[in-house]
Amino acid sequence: MASATAPQPVSSPSAAAGAASNNPHKRKKPAARGKGKGKGKGRLAKTPRRSDDPGDLPRRRSKPSDRFLKLLRKRARDYNSDDSDDEERLSDEDEEEEGASGSGDDEAAGAVTRFEQGCRAFRVAFTKIMAKKLPDDPLGPILSAHKKLVAAKLAEDAEEHKPKGEGRREKRMAAEKGHVIPTNHLDSKEKELIKIATQGVVRLFNSVSKAQNCRKGLNPSRSKDAKVLAKETKQAFLTELSKTSNQSQKGKASSNFSKNNSKDEDEPGWAPLRETYMLGSKLKDWDKMQTSDVVNEQTEIPLDDSSDEEYAIDSPE
Amino acid sequence: MARVHHKNGRGGGGGGGGGKGKGKGKWKMPASVARKQQAAMANVDQVTGDKIPKSFVFSRGKLPSTLRHLQQDLRKVMLPYTALNLKEKKRNNLKDFVNVSGPLGVTHFFILTNPKSSPHLRMAKTPQGPTYTFQIKEYALAADIANSQKRPRCPPEIFKNSPLTVLSGFGGLGEPFKSLVEYFRHMTPAIDPVTVKLSTCQRILLIHFDREKEMINFRHYSIKLQPVGVTRKIRKLMQNNQVPDLRDLNDVSDYVTKAGYGSESEVDDEAATVSLASDVDKLNRASRKSAIRLQEIGPRMKLHLVKVEAGLCSGDVLYPQPVGKEGLGKKGKEVEEETEGQEDEDLMESDDDPEDESEE
Repeated sequence: MASATAPQPVSSPSAAAGAASNNPHKRKKPAARGKGKGKGKGRLAKTPRRSDDPGDLPRRRSKPSDRFLKLLRKRARDYNSDDSDDEERLSDEDEEEEGASGSGDDEAAGAVTRFEQGCRAFRVAFTKIMAKKLPDDPLGPILSAHKKLVAAKLAEDAEEHKPKGEGRREKRMAAEKGHVIPTNHLDSKEKELIKIATQGVVRLFNSVSKAQNCRKGLNPSRSKDAKVLAKETKQAFLTELSKTSNQSQKGKASSNFSKNNSKDEDEPGWAPLRETYMLGSKLKDWDKMQTSDVVNEQTEIPLDDSSDEEYAIDSPE
Repeated sequence: MARVHHKNGRGGGGGGGGGKGKGKGKWKMPASVARKQQAAMANVDQVTGDKIPKSFVFSRGKLPSTLRHLQQDLRKVMLPYTALNLKEKKRNNLKDFVNVSGPLGVTHFFILTNPKSSPHLRMAKTPQGPTYTFQIKEYALAADIANSQKRPRCPPEIFKNSPLTVLSGFGGLGEPFKSLVEYFRHMTPAIDPVTVKLSTCQRILLIHFDREKEMINFRHYSIKLQPVGVTRKIRKLMQNNQVPDLRDLNDVSDYVTKAGYGSESEVDDEAATVSLASDVDKLNRASRKSAIRLQEIGPRMKLHLVKVEAGLCSGDVLYPQPVGKEGLGKKGKEVEEETEGQEDEDLMESDDDPEDESEE
């Protein structure tokens, strides 16, 4: 480092002495070119000098001094070898230029150096930025200070947008909960259910035909037929009664048949003709009647379809 | 108050006429008495003299549209003894319905609710309970079922009579289900096999208990009777009442003898044939055998029994068995009941507890 800086102070006075005003130009040019080769930065440095160029051209052809060439070589070597060295060398050069610019071109040279300095700072900053490892951000590298704010705002927007669609969908899903649209074909389960239901209907129809066949042609609403029916059932009732006379005290559940027939025997088949039709406690407290009726109905109607179905179908299972 | 369009079946019209006719003699019946009597007549079956169960199907709280459709479907199931166009308002509470149900003779409530967006169905007896709360695990509307069928059949006449109820799979089960069976049995008018007309049996409500999954399957079918051994062409000829298309035939006899598509699947359902007691229609005569065909009309529900309460949407919880303090309290009550019901032991045995509790 010291060896690099040492020759410069020596060289500059000599250059200033030797080639009064041309020298700085000549010396500058190769240096710029060398740098341009390195990083393509020389072109920038060249632009402010363009105005001088036409005048400079003939002079450029004159051979530079050995010393100057040596210096150039050294600089090139330095430049290629290390960045940090280069920086120091440049700063040294600046100083030297300042010192050297006593003559007419000092203004132009100052502009160049200032630009170069800015350039260097830019380069350093740029390389630093490029070397920086960026997080994998979908927003991309945003240098603004508002980066966080922007991100927050975008996230907020997205959040606001999402609940609208999602909320609606959720609401719909909730409304449709449990709603199952059946398939076109009947699966085995449905077929089985239909089978059970069919069995139930068959049983009901059979029981109805059994109950109605014997009294076919007799209309219980006609008094004549009602008498015949009563006679018919009376005998059955009496035989049934003699059988179960000892059990009659125990309860109604013992014999459905007798209960059913006794009703038939005592009363006409059509309800309005009965003595008790719509009379008595039945109407006053109908709710009580209903609950007590539950007991009666159970025993009264032996062929109540549901009860029949239930036990009949359960037994094979 | 709930606005009610109550559809009276045959009971309403006939009963009303009788009451007024009596009043036109010497003594004129006061209007209020006549009205009461008329109302009472409407609640009783004219032939058997049994009380006709009537129902309200309504909802509490806001329901999504699919559940509203389910509500309407349930009303159609419960026809004719239900209010098809029952309008409820937000400010109607349960008490309003109970107050209306008394004079109208409504005995059963079906309440659809949607708490935390899981549909529930409460079946209750008015005015004193019990209440059965079901969770509707799955359901399909009548429209969905009609869409899934190639040839949906749902003539409006079948809703003029109440459905038959077939319960299956409930045999030999414990307490909550025993009373539930009773409830279902009295949900629709009981059928007296001696007086019933077969032509009124056009719908069937199947309530099937799946023991493995503890689910209650609710299905609704229409009953169709077809004469056995009659070809499709003859059947159509009888049904349509139209002159058949004989253009392509050489002889009239061809119409009968020519084989159809051969799609008759009557071979398999030997079990589904019945001999009818009386004539149902032109085709299904008493002397002939008929095959029973069921076609689903919906709605379809899969229910899970969640809770049983002694009162109408209130009172003691009978199922699931309460634990801790409540359980002790309930036990005490049960003991009381037993001592009370000593004299008629048979009744207690045959009947179910919730009913008795409501009676107290």
